[in-house]
Amino acid sequence: MSNILTQNDIQHVDYKDIDLLKQFINPHGRIMSRKRTSLTAKQQRAVEAAVKRARFMALLPYIQK
Amino acid sequence: MTENEVSTIENDAENDVAVSRIYEVGYHIAPSVKEEDIEKVVGGVRSRIEKEGGSFIAEGAPSMTRFSYAIEGREAGKRVEYDRGYFGWIKFEGSVAAAKALESALKQSKDVIRFILFRTVREDTRAKYKAPTLREVKRTDTIKSTPRRTEEQAAPVSEEELDKALQDITAE
Repeated sequence: MSNILTQNDIQHVDYKDIDLLKQFINPHGRIMSRKRTSLTAKQQRAVEAAVKRARFMALLPYIQK
Repeated sequence: MTENEVSTIENDAENDVAVSRIYEVGYHIAPSVKEEDIEKVVGGVRSRIEKEGGSFIAEGAPSMTRFSYAIEGREAGKRVEYDRGYFGWIKFEGSVAAAKALESALKQSKDVIRFILFRTVREDTRAKYKAPTLREVKRTDTIKSTPRRTEEQAAPVSEEELDKALQDITAE
């Protein structure tokens, strides 16, 4: 299994790790699909939650023009 | 078995106040707050947690952060848009009541323009991850262009030799 989280042995996804989360959003700021991230369902949910928290705290954009 | 389940659920509900959980609070302090007053604001948040019997696990000191979008706020009755703020966070262990008290306190706080409070785990959740930089080119890798062909010394060629060589080529 090769995805960023497994490769780097990351167990928890934190909303403050912007550099990590940026790997899972496209240039428009949308969360990538599981097809593209190749994360497990559990990991994808964790990333989703973290990105949404980061967006609320204005650390990541909701949309990027 | 079902009875047991029901009873545990009831117990949980009863002990709701006593159960201690791990929370994390992240906050943005308004950029209009002076640098020396930031510690006071954070101290207020900390004392609020301590008052409710919470204990700290980890903390991130507030640092100036640029927002990805403008956050609206109010300052002296006027609407203002913030494009930056001091972002800090605290991870703590406390009861549900402590979390609720902190939430209402932060909502009323003028200096905190936005905050997030959620349940988390005790372990350190920060990832040790370094984003790969695009195409790292090292200075030492630059290609040294060494002229492969050393210029052939143009030796003086006599007319006869040239003619002979030409004939050899055309003869074929």
